[in-house]
Amino acid sequence: MQAIRKELNPFKFSNLLFLICIKGFWGLVIITLTGYTAAWGAVGCDLNDPDRDVKRLFPESTGYKTHYVSIDRKGGEPLLTKVETRLGDKFRGIYETIDVPYTIYEIFTHKKKIGYIHGVNEKGQFGGIQVFLSLDLEGRIKAFYIQKMTSKYAGKLRDISFGRQFHGLTIKDFELYDVITGKAIGKVEAIKNPAPEAEIDFRATLRATKKNLVLIDQFIYLPQGSSNQGGS
Amino acid sequence: MITPFQVAYKNLHRKRMRSFLTLIGISLSAWVLVSLLGFNHGYETSLNKDIDNMGFQMMIMAKGCPYEAATMMLKGGTGLKYMKESIINEVTKEPEVEKTTPIFMAAVFDPNKGESGGVAAYFGVEPKTFNEMKPFLKFRQGGWFKDENAYEAVMGYEAAELEQREVGDMILMPDKNVEFKVVGILARTGTQDDGTIFVPIKTAQKIFGKPDEITTLGIKVKKDVDATRFEEKLYQLPDVQVVSLAQVKDTIMKLVSTAKVMVLSIALIAILIAMVGVINTILTSVWERFQEIGILKTIGAMPWDIFKLIWIETLILCTTGGVLGILLALGLSRVTDLVIRHVLPYAPSGGLVLIDTKLILITLVTILSIGLLGGLYPAWKAGRIRPLEAIRGEVGR
Repeated sequence: MQAIRKELNPFKFSNLLFLICIKGFWGLVIITLTGYTAAWGAVGCDLNDPDRDVKRLFPESTGYKTHYVSIDRKGGEPLLTKVETRLGDKFRGIYETIDVPYTIYEIFTHKKKIGYIHGVNEKGQFGGIQVFLSLDLEGRIKAFYIQKMTSKYAGKLRDISFGRQFHGLTIKDFELYDVITGKAIGKVEAIKNPAPEAEIDFRATLRATKKNLVLIDQFIYLPQGSSNQGGS
Repeated sequence: MITPFQVAYKNLHRKRMRSFLTLIGISLSAWVLVSLLGFNHGYETSLNKDIDNMGFQMMIMAKGCPYEAATMMLKGGTGLKYMKESIINEVTKEPEVEKTTPIFMAAVFDPNKGESGGVAAYFGVEPKTFNEMKPFLKFRQGGWFKDENAYEAVMGYEAAELEQREVGDMILMPDKNVEFKVVGILARTGTQDDGTIFVPIKTAQKIFGKPDEITTLGIKVKKDVDATRFEEKLYQLPDVQVVSLAQVKDTIMKLVSTAKVMVLSIALIAILIAMVGVINTILTSVWERFQEIGILKTIGAMPWDIFKLIWIETLILCTTGGVLGILLALGLSRVTDLVIRHVLPYAPSGGLVLIDTKLILITLVTILSIGLLGGLYPAWKAGRIRPLEAIRGEVGR
């Protein structure tokens, strides 16, 4: 291999092609192996039918791109600490971990980017809750969607009228919400629980929403320089 | 002193682009061949593992269930029929039977799963007999429920992940609004058990209002028993049908073999095309070095020396191409696995492409044999070149 490398002049087309193929091959092997590891990692949260759901959550969209990110790969322990501090709570249990892969759908109208859709898993009283938010480029919630919830009162919490209360809210509004005590100030305080019997799931839904907003702020809005998603 | 290998390597290196393209052709053929043979091996191994992991070789279910009931069970599906529990005693008393385990399957509609709802499957099992049938099941947390009437649940790895459950948490059976306490979470098995929620059989029967009924009776027969004959014997029982997992396996393998024959044909064509490429490359190289070979003969090279030199070039091309193809197949086996899984209507859990040392050696030997056979003609032609005519550049051009 050394001998071959020595004789190869990269400015010759045939040599260049050869080098690209060799490097490309190893690149592919690495991507495959890392993909394999991710596939067996912690559980992520995807839309069940992205083509249908994206159109429903972003009616003006004509297309979308899917990105996978995790705290582990994006910033490791320091990022986890940052996320936990902003959330106001530690990541808990065996499913809310640093290596959870998050799926971010980047939404387009033709070639123009118009927003994002992002979902998170949250532990509810009787099962997992999957909360998806569609956000405009300023980070304002355009649509709120609970994809899955196991509760006797799931119907009330999944109702459109409940989701509508989240429209227009941003991370700034949720920064004032305490996920541990459930105390809220301002716009979040105004969110009414349609099923008082399911207080645990209601609060889990609010925690999931705050987690969702903090994560997408750290993954997307902060790196782009539009810190903390304007809005409010 | 320069060796024939070094001369052959330098000759190939002089026409890099041509050698490179020939290499690509050979490596692609080797990739297809290794992946295909790996699939042949891997699919059968995974299917056997899936069936072995069910823990029993036969299942009895109520008449009227489709033949694909086994597949339905593997997938945890719906459309179930029930039979009387008394069948357990009738079957267990047969001398051929080693163990049995009753299963009560039920599916409930969960309107809050996705946009249009989904089905959640529950397996009512007897922890003692079920565990005996599947001793390989390991727990990630907790263990089996002890009481057949308890409102407790054991969750498969993926079911627990989806529901974010840990031991001590509660789950709710949608539609029936019954709560269960999670007492165990299974470790990943790579089988249908990963997505299943197990509850005590008596509890499940009570919830669904079928106190003396079961869906399936899993049977493990003794080692020396003729399974086919015993299957016929079981057919004497009224209103039941027997599904032998060996039969299911045969049917699936027959379906898959048709696809395999087609792909194997394509692989063989690819290998032949690659070999024609090798012959073309070496032959062109011989014509280009016509005078050079003539000079070599003039200074004492024998026909065998020339033959050897040209044949070594083929050997280098085929070995390098074969090894590259094998590396490609190993590196991309996961991708190949995903593609096959996407295309096939049913694929067992576990790796579908299994590449081992034996398979690698078979591929390398095949590629080398066909390649060296293909290199015979150019090498023979080169060996027969007459020195003086070659130097004058008159003959054979």
